[in-house]
Amino acid sequence: MDELYLDNIDEYVNDHDKIVTYKWLSLTLGVHVNTAKQMLYHYLDHKRKESSAQLHATYLVSGKFEDNGQTGHKVSVVKEDQLEDFKSKMSLIVSVHVYSVQKALLKDSGPLYSVDYDAVKDNLKNCSKYSAIRCASAVPMSSLELQQAREIHRAPSPEPVNKKSGMNGDANVASKPSTKPQKGIMGMFAKTASKNQGNEKDIKQEQKEESPVVDAPKSKPAAKANPMTNFFGSQTAKKLNKAEKEEETAPSSSSAEPQRQSSRPEEKQEAAAVEPIKDTKKDSRSKTKRIVDSDSEEEKMDKKKRRRIKKPEPDSSDEDVIPDSPQQMETRESTPSPKKEVESVSHSHQGTSEMRTRKRRRVLKARVFVDEDGSMVTEKGYESESYSETEEDVQATKQAAKDPFPAKQPASNKQDEKKSQKKTSANANKGSKQASIMGFFPKK
Amino acid sequence: MFSDLSAQKQGSSLLSRPASEDQGPVFERLSLAYSPCSERYKVGERSFTRQYAHIYAARLMQMRPLLSERAQQKWDVPIRKLCDLQTGEQCCIVGTLFKRMDLQPSILREISDEHNLLPQPARAKYISDTDELILEDELQRIKLEGRIDRDKCVTGSVIAIYGAERNDGKFTVEDFCMADLPLQTPRPALSSDKFVLLASGLGLGSSQADSMLGLQLLVDMVTGQLGDQGEQSGAATISRVLLAGNLLSQSTQDKDASTKPKYLTKKTQAGTVEAIRLLDELLLQLVASLPVDVMPGQYDPTNYTLPQQPLHRCMFPLSSAYPTLQLTSNPYTANIDGVRFLGTSGQNVSDIQKYSSMDSHLEILEETLRLRHLAPTAPDTLGCYPFYQKDPFILEECPHVYFSGNAPTFESKLIKGPDGLEVLLVTVPEFSSTQTACLVNLRTLECEPVSFSAFSADDDDDSEMNISH
Repeated sequence: MDELYLDNIDEYVNDHDKIVTYKWLSLTLGVHVNTAKQMLYHYLDHKRKESSAQLHATYLVSGKFEDNGQTGHKVSVVKEDQLEDFKSKMSLIVSVHVYSVQKALLKDSGPLYSVDYDAVKDNLKNCSKYSAIRCASAVPMSSLELQQAREIHRAPSPEPVNKKSGMNGDANVASKPSTKPQKGIMGMFAKTASKNQGNEKDIKQEQKEESPVVDAPKSKPAAKANPMTNFFGSQTAKKLNKAEKEEETAPSSSSAEPQRQSSRPEEKQEAAAVEPIKDTKKDSRSKTKRIVDSDSEEEKMDKKKRRRIKKPEPDSSDEDVIPDSPQQMETRESTPSPKKEVESVSHSHQGTSEMRTRKRRRVLKARVFVDEDGSMVTEKGYESESYSETEEDVQATKQAAKDPFPAKQPASNKQDEKKSQKKTSANANKGSKQASIMGFFPKK
Repeated sequence: MFSDLSAQKQGSSLLSRPASEDQGPVFERLSLAYSPCSERYKVGERSFTRQYAHIYAARLMQMRPLLSERAQQKWDVPIRKLCDLQTGEQCCIVGTLFKRMDLQPSILREISDEHNLLPQPARAKYISDTDELILEDELQRIKLEGRIDRDKCVTGSVIAIYGAERNDGKFTVEDFCMADLPLQTPRPALSSDKFVLLASGLGLGSSQADSMLGLQLLVDMVTGQLGDQGEQSGAATISRVLLAGNLLSQSTQDKDASTKPKYLTKKTQAGTVEAIRLLDELLLQLVASLPVDVMPGQYDPTNYTLPQQPLHRCMFPLSSAYPTLQLTSNPYTANIDGVRFLGTSGQNVSDIQKYSSMDSHLEILEETLRLRHLAPTAPDTLGCYPFYQKDPFILEECPHVYFSGNAPTFESKLIKGPDGLEVLLVTVPEFSSTQTACLVNLRTLECEPVSFSAFSADDDDDSEMNISH
């Protein structure tokens, strides 16, 4: 055995100023406890011969001990200077070995415990790996238990759901586990999104537009799709944010409203920036495809029961239309709109209040309320208030938003309407982009 | 003895350089046949609406045949019921003792006296000269006098008395007998020495952490980390660890929680949380190396009344993954390699200690064995579930090892009876205060303490003091 360990121990003791117990050494170096004891002894012996630095050691002594006529086994940790004294008291010495080596003189043995405690805590799973006793029966049954637990979890997985879709009880049971992870994922996204600055909130809305698909369906594939879209959205958002910040800083205003105004164009810009990306590039295609897939799967699920129970009818009808659309172009264009619609549903349930507080007022909102049919009018009011103060671009977007709503309600025309929506929205986005760029340069 | 077994016979000393590429020895833990028999202490349906009278009735009914038989053997006089008692006739009566004690704490008296009474000092014992001993059977009761040690007896014991009723209506006792040891199934002869380690009163979560190194030494010794090869091979013969209650310290029980306003305690964590986590880590080390039985005790987070139900597994997320962890009820009984263990965490014994003149835990332990009842004071001064069809604390079979936990000191005694009956009585000392556990040799039924010590800052002072003397 090479004597590298001497250097190791020396480093621990002198450089790190650690208390090196045999147990800590055994766990740290991965050697048998008895070897660790011998290493400590060797080190101590070695150093003593060098007589360089002063080292203190504690020893473990165990043996037969008589006390008041009662003989028993006694295990003691003693300081080096008490070692001989202790050994002489024992009527039979069973074992003596170095317990610990350290630079400082220990007042009491408390630190010895904490050193071992930390070492053991770091190696809880295999704390007896290097001990001298094996117990055949002490095998953790965690694997078994885990398997059982997994089986329990698997039972409600999608497959059974599809098979048993006819039974409400089973379906409900199945749906619950599937929803949980989604919530978790959504929560993650929500958190990440919230970390972004206030300006990005607009972007978040877009994310939500995408993400809402996830919310509504509550199926695992959907959940997977959402993170993708969400990440994409957040990345774009971050890029945009920098520009937005600069823009914001330029118009310094004392009152809150002007700030809002400044932020709103930014929002629009963001929206414009994000949407074109979705529409044009490969990324968007892949994402949209996934989304569509997820939608179709979800729809299957939905048809069987969940959606009908949980979702408003208009949404489900919209989704049904989506898979039917044969052309990719159409699907690309159409997919965002269904997402938005879905979002709107989710927003109406969950996030309307949040959106208001966060000043996220957009075309998207209007759509949300469109789903609810009767509430359309009030939505329009919101947007007009927020955006009326801002630039003309906003109005354009409003119009675009307004137009689609009535069209959507008749289910048959939806796709065409969606196309038109996108075109209008795209136009509006372009206008907003230009405006934002224009605003950008003058500021600098 | 464990020390002799573990004494170094051969092999290299640990006070030497490590041999080249030599992996240390690995001993195989001896395993034992183990069958828990704690079903009788499981409380399934928990209905607390019943009166405690049923448990006394059931106890007397179960014990009467046993005592009648003993009384017949001993005195050969008619056994009477109290209602058939003739004044002056020498006879024998089987009944339940009741000791009327003025000093016995009573919540009703406290309330009635609280206007004009100073708070009483806490007492170690509640016996006094004015105590009266009364014998009850199903229908009546009679005061006892004569040759019976009033202070030694405790309420709830079922005994047979021999004597006669006097004219003043009191019964003069000439002799009395207890049910005495039950029958014992013979113990199989073991070929090798195997040990069971008993420990109690770990007292985790207490404010003073000095005892922790001792506890860690105990764990290290049992798991084969400590000591020389000899010691480790000896430790491999420890085939089971039995923790007899009070794993947590009394200080983890925060009595203020119920009186403090909620908004002050909202963010404070219960003291038991940290202590249980510590216990879990400790148990994990043990359980990865040998089977461990964990009994709850007075201060542990389970129900308070006897029989205490096992601690819940979910409190031990780490160690409960091992099949070697057995969470057991408080009166504990199991067959370990044919040796029948029976014991408690010590509540029954310390309660009797308060209400009788007996001080030694070992003496009380023997007394309960002779009374053939684990906890005679149970419904009276010791919390107990209101059983009504049977009294599970009656000993129906004599254990080979009869122990109680949380004793102030380690004591043990081997009782020998007729037909080769052998019972080892052990009072398991509280570890946190004595740093002592005990090892029971299953082959010989010998028991010896194992103590652990570490140096502390006071040691130097002590030694100096000694020198000055």
